[in-house]
Amino acid sequence: MAFDEMKTSDGKARAPYKVYENWLLSMSPDLLPAKHEQADALFRKLGITFAVYGDQEGTERLIPFDPIPRIIDAGEWKKLSDGCCQRVRALNAFLKDLYHDQEILKAEVIPRSQVFNNGMYRPEMQGLDVARDVYIHIAGIDLVRTGENDFYVLEDNLRSPSGVSYMLENRTMMLRLFPDLFHRHRVAGVEQYPDKLLKNLRSVAPAACDGDPTVVLLTPGYYNSAYFEHAFLAEQMGIELVEGRDLFVSEGLVWMRTTRGPKRVDVIYRRIDDDFLDPLAFNPDSTLGVPGLLSVYRAGGVTLANAIGTGVADDKATYTYVPDMIRFYLGEEPILNNVPTWRLERDSDRKYVLEHLAELVVKEVQGSGGYGMLVGPTSTREQVEEFRTRIIANPSNYIAQPTLALSTVPTLVDQGIAPRHVDLRPYVLMGETATLVPGGLTRVALREGSLVVNSSQGGGTKDTWVLEDARC
Amino acid sequence: MSRYIERAENIARFLDVANRMAMSAEGDRDAYWQPVLSITGGEDAYTERCGKLSAVAVVGFAVLDSANSASIYASLRAARENAHAVRSVIPHELWESVNATWLEARGLDGARLRDIGLMGFCDWVRERSHLFRGITYGTMMRDEPLHFIHLGTHLERADNTARLLEVRGEGVGVGPAPTEVDPTDQLHWAAVLRSVSAFKAFRTYYRDDLTPLRVADMLIMRADMPRSLHACLENVVNALEKVGPNAECTRVAGGLHAQLHWGRLDQLLNKGLDKFVEEFLVDINALGARIHDDFLMA
Repeated sequence: MAFDEMKTSDGKARAPYKVYENWLLSMSPDLLPAKHEQADALFRKLGITFAVYGDQEGTERLIPFDPIPRIIDAGEWKKLSDGCCQRVRALNAFLKDLYHDQEILKAEVIPRSQVFNNGMYRPEMQGLDVARDVYIHIAGIDLVRTGENDFYVLEDNLRSPSGVSYMLENRTMMLRLFPDLFHRHRVAGVEQYPDKLLKNLRSVAPAACDGDPTVVLLTPGYYNSAYFEHAFLAEQMGIELVEGRDLFVSEGLVWMRTTRGPKRVDVIYRRIDDDFLDPLAFNPDSTLGVPGLLSVYRAGGVTLANAIGTGVADDKATYTYVPDMIRFYLGEEPILNNVPTWRLERDSDRKYVLEHLAELVVKEVQGSGGYGMLVGPTSTREQVEEFRTRIIANPSNYIAQPTLALSTVPTLVDQGIAPRHVDLRPYVLMGETATLVPGGLTRVALREGSLVVNSSQGGGTKDTWVLEDARC
Repeated sequence: MSRYIERAENIARFLDVANRMAMSAEGDRDAYWQPVLSITGGEDAYTERCGKLSAVAVVGFAVLDSANSASIYASLRAARENAHAVRSVIPHELWESVNATWLEARGLDGARLRDIGLMGFCDWVRERSHLFRGITYGTMMRDEPLHFIHLGTHLERADNTARLLEVRGEGVGVGPAPTEVDPTDQLHWAAVLRSVSAFKAFRTYYRDDLTPLRVADMLIMRADMPRSLHACLENVVNALEKVGPNAECTRVAGGLHAQLHWGRLDQLLNKGLDKFVEEFLVDINALGARIHDDFLMA
């Protein structure tokens, strides 16, 4: 039986949900479905849509929005927030170390093979100093909950985590649909996120930048599934949204084409993968990037956020070493636990996993977005066998984890209100220090019993409320 | 007519700000509704009829109260009455739109308003105002009726932007600027910018922290900011020069405009933003009266 965040096993509302439940009981049962419809219409009007890869129609879809909030109290949040910041500080220290002295490899805390056999390791970054030593300007930490006090980190997203626009838009929507609820609760605000992000990006301008740094957001363009988010964030921050072809390299600097001639660019918040950033250095077929960008970057003429080569720290095998990184770099004990993970290149681990495949979750080491994973308990025998063959063929490409009983939160479905499994992705900003806004993206698996919350796999989202401490 | 449409739009904008502030801020939430009354100028009437400050009562008063001349209801009614009076002069599309807006507003009651939600309603009012301006822009001859429409819009807007700046304007600009902006202050000025759709413009232009002085600069001095006092005065002067280049009111408007066009913010605010606004409101109202005398009494 999964842990339900709203109700205890004897059906009483837990503390953070008490006020909400009272409110809900006082409302007509038609209210939520009606508000749900309103929300859909508004999201469509606002153009908050998501393109699904592999969908032949190429149509834009709304991410299903659930009108019931996910509520976290101040104490719980403090722990999550401290834990996420701690993790990102350690991961950032790891990247700095890895691309410089490699103390952690010398100390044999992490095996060399884990790093150097990793496709996301970037030799181009070796010995390079980045502005303020920040590699991970923005991180999305995926958390799951299995009990009253049991939170686990499921994965770290250190490349260009998406979804933050939904955190912001979901809040706007809730404020609009249920103003009275916000009068009954003290919900911490999230709307300062774009401000903080911009400040953070400006603070990492390269040393060579004199005066007011120019920050741009580099998008792959409007065919990208997260294009709405790119446009949204650029608009919120008041910075230019550019594509690769809008930028060029000259005299060792990056410039943006404008109607008034070239304008120097100091910080690029890039939402393009490493491989596509610079056709001269990486994938030569990339038309999304800027030829010569890497050379400017290496010479300290421009800051990229996030830095190149952060992917080596967020794959699912490196993940298993994060608690060790926290101890090694910070001398602290991890505040948040990892999910126990089997590494399939190890014989004993592999043996166990292959014997228990139908009970476990198996993931590709570098997969993301819920693609290329097996959830044993909800898969058919054929799917399990297919994965078995794939694992045997290339064991180091996979990890396995126990199937966690993700916590549930009441969710509006066709039949009424029913518990559905959720996860949580808060967004950590790293500048001088690591900070995060009180909230995050709660993703919810809308199908009964499903544990896959990814939007690409039919998951929905909820507004996440962090309650502020009651003041008198 | 254009004055009243503009007023309805601005009341909607003020309500939207108060609503957002009240939902996200701390402390006594009802207090955030006070500015709606002080900006629209209905404080005394409110106290007389509704007594204590409360969110529901303020919304009722500012949206639906037909006896409150500064309510959205009353503004849309007045706009429609004025449009009716000049029906033969304005394009029929304009008349139909103003009339339809009124008919819809008339059908509104507390229950219906709750149903749409305050934000939804404020959006609607704003859209109707946008539509009004769009029709005048797209269909009207560039002659007197259009100039008078512009005149009304921008006089009203200048008045409203000034009143908006007055809230928490006390002492802004006097003495050295504080290095740290109080968070509630910051929230307030961000809400002010949002209410005049200038938040993004602010970001683009300043790329820096929000301070009361910068917001004041944006909403007073910048001619390219469509709701700033400078821009409003520029439009007023343009319209007046077309309809009465030699009228006394044109001279007065030109003087007011010159003050913003050539003045410096630190000098204008040397007694504080609140004092500046106070004087500005006296001036702009005197100008309104003068225009009335010059054109309508003649």
